[in-house]
Amino acid sequence: MTHTDRSRRRFLRVAGAAGVAGLAGCAAEPVEDGPSDSAGGTSDDEVTTAGTTTGEPTAAMADTLVVATYPPFVDAPSTSPGAWLKEEFESAFDATLVYQTPDSELNYYIERAVQGVDFEADVYVGLDTGQLIDADGKRGEGQFTDPLFAEAGDVAGLDRVKEGLRFDPQNRVVPFDTGYVSLVWNATMDDGEFVAPETFEELATAPYANDLIAQNPTTSSTGEAFMLHTVDAFGEDGFLDYWSRLQDNGVTVLGDWSSSYSAYLNEEAPMVVSYSTDQVFASAEGQDLDKHQIRFLNDQGYANPEGMARFAASDAPRLARRFMEFVLRPEIQAGIAQRNVAFPAITDAPLPDDYAQYAKEPAEAVTFTYDDLEANLSTWTDQWSRRFAGG
Amino acid sequence: MDGPVVAALRRRVNEARAAASGDRSVAAERLALPLLALVAALLLALLFYYPVATVFVDAVVEDGRLTFGPLVAVLTDRFYVGRVLGFTAYQALLSTGLSVLLGLPGAWVLARFEFRGRRTLRSVTMVPFVLPSVLVAAGFYATFGANGSLNTVLSALGLPAVDLLPSLGAILVAHAFYNAPLVTRVVTAAWESVDAGAVETARSLGASRRRAFRDVVVPQLLPAVLTGAALTFVFTFASFAIPLALGGAQFATIEVFIYSARRQLEYGRAASLAVLETGVSLSLMALYLRYEREQSARRRGVRTLVRRPLVPDSWTRERLVRRAAVAGYAVVVALVFLAPLASMIYASVSVEGRLTLDAYRFLLERQTTGAAFQVKPFPAVVNSLVFAAATLAVALPLGVAMGVLTTRRFRGRWAVDALSMAPLAVSGIVVGLGLLRGLVFGVEAFGYRFTVTGAVAIVAAHAVAAYPFVVRTVAPPLDRLDRALVESARALGASRARTVLDAELPLVWPGVVAGAAFAVAISIGEFDSTVILAEGGGTYTMPVAVERFIGRRLGPATAMGTVLLAVTAAAFVVVERVGGEFRG
Repeated sequence: MTHTDRSRRRFLRVAGAAGVAGLAGCAAEPVEDGPSDSAGGTSDDEVTTAGTTTGEPTAAMADTLVVATYPPFVDAPSTSPGAWLKEEFESAFDATLVYQTPDSELNYYIERAVQGVDFEADVYVGLDTGQLIDADGKRGEGQFTDPLFAEAGDVAGLDRVKEGLRFDPQNRVVPFDTGYVSLVWNATMDDGEFVAPETFEELATAPYANDLIAQNPTTSSTGEAFMLHTVDAFGEDGFLDYWSRLQDNGVTVLGDWSSSYSAYLNEEAPMVVSYSTDQVFASAEGQDLDKHQIRFLNDQGYANPEGMARFAASDAPRLARRFMEFVLRPEIQAGIAQRNVAFPAITDAPLPDDYAQYAKEPAEAVTFTYDDLEANLSTWTDQWSRRFAGG
Repeated sequence: MDGPVVAALRRRVNEARAAASGDRSVAAERLALPLLALVAALLLALLFYYPVATVFVDAVVEDGRLTFGPLVAVLTDRFYVGRVLGFTAYQALLSTGLSVLLGLPGAWVLARFEFRGRRTLRSVTMVPFVLPSVLVAAGFYATFGANGSLNTVLSALGLPAVDLLPSLGAILVAHAFYNAPLVTRVVTAAWESVDAGAVETARSLGASRRRAFRDVVVPQLLPAVLTGAALTFVFTFASFAIPLALGGAQFATIEVFIYSARRQLEYGRAASLAVLETGVSLSLMALYLRYEREQSARRRGVRTLVRRPLVPDSWTRERLVRRAAVAGYAVVVALVFLAPLASMIYASVSVEGRLTLDAYRFLLERQTTGAAFQVKPFPAVVNSLVFAAATLAVALPLGVAMGVLTTRRFRGRWAVDALSMAPLAVSGIVVGLGLLRGLVFGVEAFGYRFTVTGAVAIVAAHAVAAYPFVVRTVAPPLDRLDRALVESARALGASRARTVLDAELPLVWPGVVAGAAFAVAISIGEFDSTVILAEGGGTYTMPVAVERFIGRRLGPATAMGTVLLAVTAAAFVVVERVGGEFRG
C-alpha cells in the first residue's frame, strides 16, 4: 500500500472536479506518494512500520479515533453498545470517537485494500475468526500487499482475556466479547408438550420432524456456526450425511437469522438456531419465557468470539491502543456485554448477579481454530450448499 | 387521419413558430432529443457499464492475466449450469405465469369499470413493489404460516389447516405479490389507450363483442402483457431474498450463489455466475425486444373506451357473471396482497397479541433522542421523497427521449435497445460491488483520486435503474402510433421534440404516467446502491431505516415499514393526480 497522507484533518475536497461536472458529491482528493510528513500534531507519533509499533511516543496523541464496526453495534433497535461506549470513551480521554458502519462490514475495508484505496478507520470492532481468515486470504490480491491489521502488541488487560477466546494466532485481534449459538425452543407448542431434544442424534429422529428452523451457512453467521458445530460433532466426513438426515426430517433452512427468527415467533416451528442470550431480551420485554427456552445440543454451544484490531495504516496507533485497553477494562467489558447481549471476554467483569440467569453458557464451548477454518471453511460451506441444494 | 388532432397540431405549431420566429429556442428544441440521449448514454456509462465492467473483469482475468479461468470453471460445473440455472429459470417461469394470471384481471377491473376510488386504487397498485423483502416474508409467515391468519380463518370455518410455508409455492406467491401489480399497471395503461373508434368500427361491421375484443383489443394489449411478463421474468430470475426467506436453502437461485460468493470474497466465482445470469436475462430481453418491434398495430385516435359502472343500473345475466368475476378477484387480492400488508401493520401495533404503540414510540424516541450516527425515521422519509422526485425529474425525460429515439427504424436497433435495458438484467449485487469499486473508491489520475458519492450519485444511480421502465412503458405505444401523424407534424415545421411533446405524448399519456409511477417506485424501493453510495453520510432512505430497525422483535421494522407504505402510497397518488392534470 502506498503510504499516503490519510489525515482526516487535511482532506481537501474539491467538489465538481470529477465525473459529471458540476455535481456535488464528486470529489477529487490529492494523492501523495511516499511517506507523509506526520509532524504538526495531526497524528500519533508512534509511527508504524509494517504493522509493529516502535519507539516511545514524543508528540501529542491524535485527538480523533475512527472506529469501524457492523451497523447493529451502534444502531440495533433493542439495545446496542455504540452510543454508550462513545460517551464513556470520550469522557475518559480527551478525544473524539467517530463511528463508520459500512453495510458490508469488514469486507468493505478488505475491498478497499484490494483496490489500493486508503481509508480513515483506525480500529475495527467486531470481527470473528472467519472474517479474519477472509482478510488474510485476500492479501496478495490486487494492491493488497501490506498487512491489513497491526499486531496488538502490549495491550494492558490482554492477560485477563479468557484463553479459549484468543482466536488470532498472530495476536492482532483482541477479543472483547463472545456469544454462543444454540437452539431456542418453545415449550408451549404441541399443547405444551414440546420438549427440545438433548442431542444432535435425537434432533434427526422422527419425533422432531419439521420442528427445526436453521440458517444457510453461506449467507448467515448463525447458520455457519451451527454447521461448524455439526462438523465438530460428526467429523468432516460425516456432517454432510447428518445434514441429509436433517433434510429428510424436514429441517427448514432460511437465508438469514432475522427471517428465521420471525418465522419462529410466528410459531412456524418449535425450534430455531439462535443465540443462547435469547432470554435476556425476552425477560427485558416481559415475554413468556416458556417460548424462549435454550437448549445446548450434546451439552455444547458453538462459541463465536468477537474481536477488535487496529488497522496497520492507522494514523492514530497510540489512541487506538488506548481504546483497546479501555474496552478491556472490567466495567466497560460488563457494559458492552449487557448492551451487546453477549458474554465478556474477561473473567472478572462486574455483571449484575441475575445476568447469568438469562444469559446461558454451555457446559462445553466448541469452536474451530484459525488454522482449521482457514484450511477447510470454504470447502465445507461449498460442499454443504451443493448437497443441500441437491447438486 | 383524425381532423381534430391535426388541427390542434397545426395551431400549436403555428403558435410555436410565431413565438420562436426561427431563433434559438427552435435550435434548442432540435437539440433536445439528441442531448437527452447523450445524457442517458453518459449516465449509463458512468453509473452502470463502467462499474459493472470493474466486476465482470474478475470472471476472465486472474492475477492480471486474461485466462477466462473462473468463467470456464463455472460454465463447466454441472451443478451451476444444470441444477442452479435450471431451477432459477424454472421458478422464474412459474412466477411469471402466476404474476400475469393475478395481474391481468386487475387491469381489466381498473381499465373497464368505473367505481368510487378507482383512480386512487390505480395509483396505489404499485405499492407492494417497494416493500423490503424482509417485511414481505414476515407478512407471509403471519398470513400463510402454520399459525397464520389463513389457518385461523380456516379452523374457524371448521376446515383443515394448510401449511404453505416454506415451499416453492410460497416463493411463487411472493413473487406474484411483487410483480402482478407491475403487470396490472402496464396493461391498465395499454387498455386505457385502446382506441374506442376501432372497437366501434368492428362492431358496426357486425363483429360480436367477443370478436371485437379478440381482433381489436387483444392485439393492442398483448405487447403490454408481454412487457409485464418479460420484466417479471427478469426480476424473478435475479431474485434472492424471497427464495431464501420463504423457500429455504434447497430453493437457492443463482443470485443466492452470487451473494454468498461475494460474501466470501470469491470475486471470480461471483463475477462468472453473474455473467451467466446476465447472459440469460439479456438474451431473453433481446428476444422480447425483437418481438416488441415487430408489433405494428396502427393507432391514431385519442378517444378511449368508456368505462362501465361497477354497479349497473339494471342487472342482466351477463352483467351478473362479470360482477361475480370481479368479486371473486377481489377475494384473491384480499388474500394475496392485502392480508400480508395488514399483518405487517398489525405486527407494528402488537406484541404477542396485545395492542401497543411501543414500536411507534421507538420511532419517535429514535427521532428525538437518537445519536447523530444513528438512522432516524424522519430524515429517511425526507430523503426517500427527495430522491424519488429527483429520480423522476431525471428518468422521465431520459426514458421518453430514449423511447422516441429507439422507435426510429435502423438495423440492429433491438441490440441498442437491449444494451440500454441492461440495468434491468444485471445482478443487483454485482452493480453494488461495481459502484463501490468504480465510484466510491474512484479512480486515481493526475495525482488526484476522483470519487463520486453522496446524494447526487444516489439519484443518478436510481435514475439509471428507473429509466428502462419509462422506456418500456412509453416506447411500445409510441412505436404503434401512426407514422403519418408524426410526418405531418414535421411537414408543418414542428421540430422532433415539439412533435413528441404536442402530438405523440398526449396520445400515449397513460404510458408516461405509468412510467413515472415506476420511476418513483424504483427510487423508493432501491436499497443496494443507496447504502453503497451513501458513504456514511446522512443520505439513508426508508428501506435502509427498515433494515436497520430489524431486530429480534418485528415491531420497530414493521412500524417503519408502515410509514414507508403510507408515504409511498401518498407519493403515488400525487404522481398520478399531477400526471392526470398534465394530460393533453
